[in-house]
Amino acid sequence: MSEVGFLFAGFAVFWAGMFTYLVILQVRIRNLQNQVDMLENTIENHDEI
Amino acid sequence: MTFTTQLEIGLKLFNANLKQAWRDKTNWMTAGMFAITALLLYSFAFNLTGGLVRNLLPGVIWTVFLFSGIFATAQSFQQDRQNGILDALKISPIHPMTIYIAKTLTNILMLLLIEFALLLGATILFSEPLFIPQLLLIVTIGTIGYTALSTLLSAINLDRNNGGLLLPVLALPLLVPLLIASVEATSASLQEEANTAPWILLLSLFTIWSAAIATLMFPLAD
Amino acid sequence: MILNNIYELRWKVLPPAAGVAMIGMAALALITAPTEVVEGDVQRLLYVHLPSALASYFAFSVTAVCSVLFLLKRDFKWDSAAQGAAIVGLIFTLLTLMTGSLWGKPIWGVYWQWDPRITTTLILFLIFSAYLIARKSTSLDSDKSARFCSIYAIIGFLDIPLIHMSVRWWRTLHPQPIIAKLNPALPDEMLLVTLVSVLAVILVAAWFITLGIETELLSQRLLKLKAIGKANISEKS
Repeated sequence: MSEVGFLFAGFAVFWAGMFTYLVILQVRIRNLQNQVDMLENTIENHDEI
Repeated sequence: MTFTTQLEIGLKLFNANLKQAWRDKTNWMTAGMFAITALLLYSFAFNLTGGLVRNLLPGVIWTVFLFSGIFATAQSFQQDRQNGILDALKISPIHPMTIYIAKTLTNILMLLLIEFALLLGATILFSEPLFIPQLLLIVTIGTIGYTALSTLLSAINLDRNNGGLLLPVLALPLLVPLLIASVEATSASLQEEANTAPWILLLSLFTIWSAAIATLMFPLAD
Repeated sequence: MILNNIYELRWKVLPPAAGVAMIGMAALALITAPTEVVEGDVQRLLYVHLPSALASYFAFSVTAVCSVLFLLKRDFKWDSAAQGAAIVGLIFTLLTLMTGSLWGKPIWGVYWQWDPRITTTLILFLIFSAYLIARKSTSLDSDKSARFCSIYAIIGFLDIPLIHMSVRWWRTLHPQPIIAKLNPALPDEMLLVTLVSVLAVILVAAWFITLGIETELLSQRLLKLKAIGKANISEKS
């Protein structure tokens, strides 16, 4: 690999790593939020009955 | 409670721990057997018969010590917990630090016994002068250092069945400074013109550091 | 209170600020910064490598501080924060090691050197991985486990100077291949670019940490809700 190749690889790893982590986090937060909302709704409805 | 009563109770606890360790020897016998087997395995794997012994021996000795020591201390509080002794101690006015120090001293004593025996065996097997005062000092300081940490880590009964397996993974990264310092000190002590001073210094520093932190942290741990 | 205010800003201020800073950093690092005379273009990797390293130390400090706070206050909020920050720290440690290797291959000729700083970073990675494994393998609401892991994180953090010192002595008291001490003092332009990139990556790390904390907090809330749900069901039946 040429010098520029290594530079490119380094930057690619850096940006890809950050974006992947960001996406993973977003998905996790959304999933968790959905589950929390669902459970809260169920519990409230349950109380009313 | 005053310091002297704590000291008295600590000595009594230490005594009781020693008796207990003596009664069910299986744990310590297993650790000793493990150490011997590992030493033999290393000597086959690295062919520790030629002139290379002196270069490889420090690393071999210390990895054997660390692994067997950590496995042996992993279950330190297991029995006390099962018999309800730990709970009884916790509600008693005995300071947690006293409990911790008594247990650590027991572990140190038992491990030193195993390690000195192993050094004696290795002296005969590899015809290297391993049973020398300087090396015994290094082994003692190093053992105090790693036992202080591994006893603290063993105190916590993580609510899982393979907690024993987790302990080496947790302890070994923390013990890198100790391993480096003791291996280097050991290999320096085996040289003709020994200059062990900087490594013994680092080893002592680590030992003091780990003993102090572990003693302070134990009351928070369990 | 101040902490809560800062925390509220996680969606308003941090993402745009971090985004702008990151784009600025990329532009500065790849275009504006002068090419280094000895190393050539590869040297530009410094602008992602050094900030990543600093960001990982920043994240691990957050873990250690939150662990202390957890032990003092016994509020699971701090336990969540410590975990969230530890994951971010691990990500940036990994990025540091990878960009460092990719710089090392053309400059040193090898991907890996047992250099004190590299080795310390690797051990740091192991320690906080072990921390996360221990924490994740036990139940989230276990007070005992949270306490233990906090203690472990604190010990691990305090171990860093000793690790660094021992590895440095280990390397320097041995004969070693000469590692060229390159760029001892950076020229002004490079220094500026470095500062901007450090700022950018620290901002990103801060944002990630808040997101990580949010996931951990949500997981704990979910756990509590499940417990309530179970209690309700058994009550009715």
